[in-house]
Amino acid sequence: MLAIAGPNLPLDLLAAAGRFAGAVSFDPERDTPRADDWLESKFAPWAFPVLEAWAEDEYDQFEQVLFSRADDTSQRLYYYICELQRRGQIGGPEPLILDIAKIPRAASRDRMITKLRELGEHLGVSADALESAIVETNSQRAAKTPKAGDPICLLTGTAPPDERLHDRVRICGFAPTGATLVEEWLDPGAIVEEATGDPYAALGTQLHDRQRGPRSFADPGAMLAEAISGSGAKAVVLWRIEEDEAQCWHLPAEREMLEIAGIPSLVLTRRDWLARDGARDEIESFLKEVQP
Amino acid sequence: MSQSVNQRSRKTLACTAEATSFQKSFGKELKRRVVDEKEPYAIVQADTPHELFHAMDIPIITNQWWSAYISAKQLSGRYFNAMVEKGFPANSCKYCSLGLACTLADDPETAPWGGLPKPSVLVARLTCDCIQHVFGMWAKELDSEFYPMEAPAWEHKEVDWFAHSKDAWERVYQPDRIEQMVAEMEDLIALLEERTGRKFDMAKLERLMEKINEQEGYIWEAAKAIGEARPCPVSIADQMPNVMIPQWHRGSDWAVAHAKKFRDEVFDRIEKGLGASNNEKLRLMWIGAGVWHDPGFYQALEEKMGAVFVWSMYMPFAGPAYIRDLKGKPVEALASRVASMNETLHLPPWMNGWMTSEAQRCGIDAAVILLPPDNRLSQSGTNLTAISLEEAGVPVLRIDADMVDADIWDHDRMVGMVEDFLREKGLA
Repeated sequence: MLAIAGPNLPLDLLAAAGRFAGAVSFDPERDTPRADDWLESKFAPWAFPVLEAWAEDEYDQFEQVLFSRADDTSQRLYYYICELQRRGQIGGPEPLILDIAKIPRAASRDRMITKLRELGEHLGVSADALESAIVETNSQRAAKTPKAGDPICLLTGTAPPDERLHDRVRICGFAPTGATLVEEWLDPGAIVEEATGDPYAALGTQLHDRQRGPRSFADPGAMLAEAISGSGAKAVVLWRIEEDEAQCWHLPAEREMLEIAGIPSLVLTRRDWLARDGARDEIESFLKEVQP
Repeated sequence: MSQSVNQRSRKTLACTAEATSFQKSFGKELKRRVVDEKEPYAIVQADTPHELFHAMDIPIITNQWWSAYISAKQLSGRYFNAMVEKGFPANSCKYCSLGLACTLADDPETAPWGGLPKPSVLVARLTCDCIQHVFGMWAKELDSEFYPMEAPAWEHKEVDWFAHSKDAWERVYQPDRIEQMVAEMEDLIALLEERTGRKFDMAKLERLMEKINEQEGYIWEAAKAIGEARPCPVSIADQMPNVMIPQWHRGSDWAVAHAKKFRDEVFDRIEKGLGASNNEKLRLMWIGAGVWHDPGFYQALEEKMGAVFVWSMYMPFAGPAYIRDLKGKPVEALASRVASMNETLHLPPWMNGWMTSEAQRCGIDAAVILLPPDNRLSQSGTNLTAISLEEAGVPVLRIDADMVDADIWDHDRMVGMVEDFLREKGLA
C-alpha cells in the first residue's frame, strides 16, 4: 500500500497505482518524545506525530509514503526520514518525494511533467491506466456540490488537525466550510483535461497550475474573495498558527479584502494548532454576534 | 531585557582592515551606480547565480548583505516594528525580510541610501515556503519583477558529497537538477539582456569561473591549514570578512588577489606560531549565520577560558561549495554550485555529514548552534547535526537567537550560556 503526507499530490496517479491508502493517519494530541529530538520547533505541528508514528513502526503496513515539495514541512520531513533510516534509527516504508514545481514558467511545468512520469514508472502505472483514473477522479470532482441549509461560515487559513473548529461553528448555527489538513491533502484539485493523448502531461499541468497551498503564486486577496463568493459565506474565520511561515505573508492583503467585502470576519494569528488557547470560545463569541 | 549589543571584535590580520575598507568603498561605489546614476541593478538572494550578473557587469544587492548592512546600523528593530504596523505578524521570518521591511517602512530619512530604487529584477531560489512571498511583495512594492528559481528535490544523497563536489559534480548534484537550473539561468540571461541592454558572453563567464576557482582555492588552502594548526592562527572574526567580502565580488581581480593575500597571511602566522588567542585551550565551532549585530561575541571567552571560535561555515565552505572542474561546461558547473548551496547547509544528510567531518578535521572540542526562533530554514538540520556531532564526541550547545534581530539578543547572557555550557561539559 501507498500513503501520502503532504498537499498537491497526484491523486489520479495514485488511484491508478491500485494500492492507494490515503493520507497517513496520526493523532495530533500524542506525545512525541522521539520526534522532538529530531525536528526543530518551526516544523508544522503535524510533522511531530507523523514522525513519532513512523518511529513507532505504525506505518509498516505501507510500502511507500509520498511527500510533496509543494509544502516545506512535507519536503523537509522527507529528508529527515531518509536520514533517520540511513542511520538505522527508524525503519518503515520507503519515503518518496514528488518534485512539485509551481513557478509559472515553461521550464517548471516541463519538470513537473517529467517528475510525474518518473513517479508513474516507479509505481508501474501505464498511460492508459492513468487516463482511466483521471476520468474516474474527474467524475468524483464533478460530484462535489455545496449543501443547502445553515448559513455558511468560511474557515480559512491554516488547515486544522480535525474538525475541532468546525464543531464549534456548527454549535453556533452555521455550516462550516474549509478543509482539515487531511482533507486538504486529499483534495484532487481542479478537473484534469481528458483524452489529450498524454495523460501525464495533462495531470502534470494541473499540478503545476494548482492555486492552493503555501507555494502558490496566486493573489491571496483574490483567492480569499473567490472562496467567499464560491461558498456563499456569511462569515469568515481566518485562523493561522504560530508555525505557519508561508501564509502569514498574506495577512495584509487578506485583511484589506475582508474590509472591502464588508463580510463579518474574525482574524486569529499565531495560534495553537490544537486550539488549546481559547480559539474555539473566540469563534463562538464572534459568531453569536453575526446575524446570518 | 538588558542588552549590550554591538560589541566590537578584535581583528588580528592586516588584510582584514583592507577587506572592510574595500567593502566600504564598494558600498559607496554601488550606491553611486545604483542610486545616483540609476544604473540597472538586481536584488538577489545569496544562493542565486551571482556569476551571471558579474559576467554581465550588472550591479547586484544581495538580500543577506543588505540585511546585515541594515542590522549593523541598528535599524532592524525599527523596520520590523514598521512591518507589524503594516499588518504582518511579529513572528514572520526575519533574515530574509529585513530588506522588505525597510522598503515597506518607506522612511528615506532613516533608510540606508535613502532606500533602494527600483531594480530591474529580484531573484530568489525557492528554498522555503516564505521566500516567494517576501520577494513577490518586495517586487510589487518596488514596482519591479520577481524572477523565482526552483529548488528541486534532491534524491541522490551522498553523505561525503564534499569529497566529490569538485570533480564529480554532475553525479553529486543530480543531472536533472543541474539541467533545470541551466534552463532557468538561460531564461534569466534573456530577461537581463532585455531589461538592461547588456550582453551575456560565455567566454567571459568561463574566465570568471576559472578565477573563482583560483580565489576559492586560496581560501580552501587557508581553511585546511587552520584546521591543522595549533593554535588557530585567526579567529572567525578575521575569517568571516576575508572570506565573505571577496565572495561578494567573486572572480574579480581584487577578490582573487585578496584571497591570496589572506592565505599568505594565515600561512605566515602559522609559521611564526602566532595564535588568534594567546590562551587557546578549547576549539569551538559556530554553526549558523554570523551574529552581525554582536561580532565581539565570538571572542568574549578567549581570555577568560581560552575558548576560541576557530570554525564557522563561511570559510571551509569555499572548497566543496565553490570549486568546480569546469570540463568546458561553465554554465552547468555554475548550476551545480548554485543548485545545492542552501541544501548542503540545511538538510540532512549533507549538512550533518559535512559538519561532522569538519569538526573532526579541525579538532573541535565543542559546538554552538544558532537556532533562530522564527525561521524554519535557518533552524533546519540543526538537531540531526547536533546528534551527529555528539555521536562523534563533540558536545553541542543550541542557543535560541536571531542573526539580525538585535532585540532578542543579550550579549552578556549569551556569553554566559556558552561559559556555563563549557563548564558543565567539563571542558573548562
